[in-house]
Amino acid sequence: MSVGSIHVEGVSKKFRLERNRPSSIKEAMLRIGKKSDADDFWVLRDIDLQIEPGSFFGLIGHNGSGKSTLLRLMAGIHRPTSGTIESEGRLSALLELGSGFHPDLTGRENVFLNGAMLGLSRKHMAESMEQIIDFSGIGEFIDEPVKIYSSGMYVRLGFAVAVNVDPELLLVDEVIAVGDEEFQRRCMEHMNKLRAGGTTIVLVSHNTALMSDLCDTLGWLDHGRLMKLGDPDEVVAAYLAHVDKGDNTLKTRD
Amino acid sequence: MAVPRSLSFTLTPSMRKSVSLIYHFAERESKARYKRSILGWFWSFMNPLTTVVVYGFVFGIVYGAKAPLTNNGNAENFGLYLFTGLIVWSVFTGVVNGSMGWLIGVSDLRKKIYFPTETALLGGAAANAVQTTLEAVVLIAIMIVLANISWTVIFLFVALTQAMLFGLGIGFIVSVFNARYRDVQYLVGILLNVAFFTVPIVFTEDLLNRDEVPDLARTLITWNPPAVFVSIARDAMYYLEVPQWNYLVVGTAWAVTAFAVGWVYFRDQSMAISEEP
Repeated sequence: MSVGSIHVEGVSKKFRLERNRPSSIKEAMLRIGKKSDADDFWVLRDIDLQIEPGSFFGLIGHNGSGKSTLLRLMAGIHRPTSGTIESEGRLSALLELGSGFHPDLTGRENVFLNGAMLGLSRKHMAESMEQIIDFSGIGEFIDEPVKIYSSGMYVRLGFAVAVNVDPELLLVDEVIAVGDEEFQRRCMEHMNKLRAGGTTIVLVSHNTALMSDLCDTLGWLDHGRLMKLGDPDEVVAAYLAHVDKGDNTLKTRD
Repeated sequence: MAVPRSLSFTLTPSMRKSVSLIYHFAERESKARYKRSILGWFWSFMNPLTTVVVYGFVFGIVYGAKAPLTNNGNAENFGLYLFTGLIVWSVFTGVVNGSMGWLIGVSDLRKKIYFPTETALLGGAAANAVQTTLEAVVLIAIMIVLANISWTVIFLFVALTQAMLFGLGIGFIVSVFNARYRDVQYLVGILLNVAFFTVPIVFTEDLLNRDEVPDLARTLITWNPPAVFVSIARDAMYYLEVPQWNYLVVGTAWAVTAFAVGWVYFRDQSMAISEEP
């Protein structure tokens, strides 16, 4: 496997449904042997994908289609229920607000912690610190606990860390939308720079125009299944056609 | 730099990552312990000192309990007898109780980013080891003052290491249970309270040699893991004898087995932590 690639083979993922989940040992004891399939929810079904090194891969789909779960599986946060996911190279992920930040630690301490999680030395992080503070634009707040940050500050610092650790694979979920116009523009610039440097990027977004603009390949997920994979314009067209059809059925029902 | 340079040559990148994470979690645990306190680490010395004095007074003077004679024959002191056992016991319980909190403490983080979760427990245990070393220093200092010290002191650290590994083994398992059902922490607390009295800490071993004590109880109280560790520590620090080899073997076997089983279980289950609500 070459550095910067992700192989997803026959991946399915199921979650236990919260409402059916015993919350104490007593309840769990009472339910022994009463397990039913209704407790499970399949978020992803039989996903096959190959992401090539240096490519810009996008995922689109309605809310709850499994995009974020697929990204989390790629990031190694969850283990697939069946199938395999393999990735090669240093993987940096920006999955949600405050991705990988501990609320009680200061911004600076969190930068070091994130570096440690990515296997980067303290020295390396100290060298990138200036750049990270600069990019995030959070200034002296870097020495305040991140729990007092605004959501915009969270995302800016998160993104600054994610892109300044020399990732070979970068996973980004929607979050950029939280930042202001100027920050979003800088994110795009920086992602393009990383891409030019050979970083593989996987992006999840609802912004179809942006996606067909940025991505080499696009995947469309619907209820946990990969409906279409390939040329961005074609996938977006198919997705929008499907959404329109859904709109029509809603209207006729009214 | 967190990782000593000499280490970084022999470690694989993923091991190096784990070592610096362990260091991070240990540092955090240590800092949190005396956060917002002026005297800080001073409390680490005060705690064991007061333990020796208070227990020595209550058991030795109020109850008139007789501790066995020490090696030099002049330190018959129930406080010290008790403290030698207690230091080992608190490593064990500190790690078992701590591990549940350490895992919960990183579970939110683990839902957002991948890192080897066991590093949180190993880091917490490392912080605990530092704390325990300070307590051991207090004990050793007192024994030096009383002129009841010998090279056998090294076996104190053997016993502490065994207790630590054994505690981590149990901690690996109960922390996973506790991540699922918070009842576990209360249950473990109660079980440890009970278990405390299956180890000769507040009572002396020779009480076991009376006829009223059933054979089974005697065997259990002699050979249960914490009791073995305590016995080794007592030999090392109180009687100043080389611990019997069978105690050393049994103690090591308990420690290594528990750690290995816990480790394997934790490695298998810890991925599911990110799916807990």
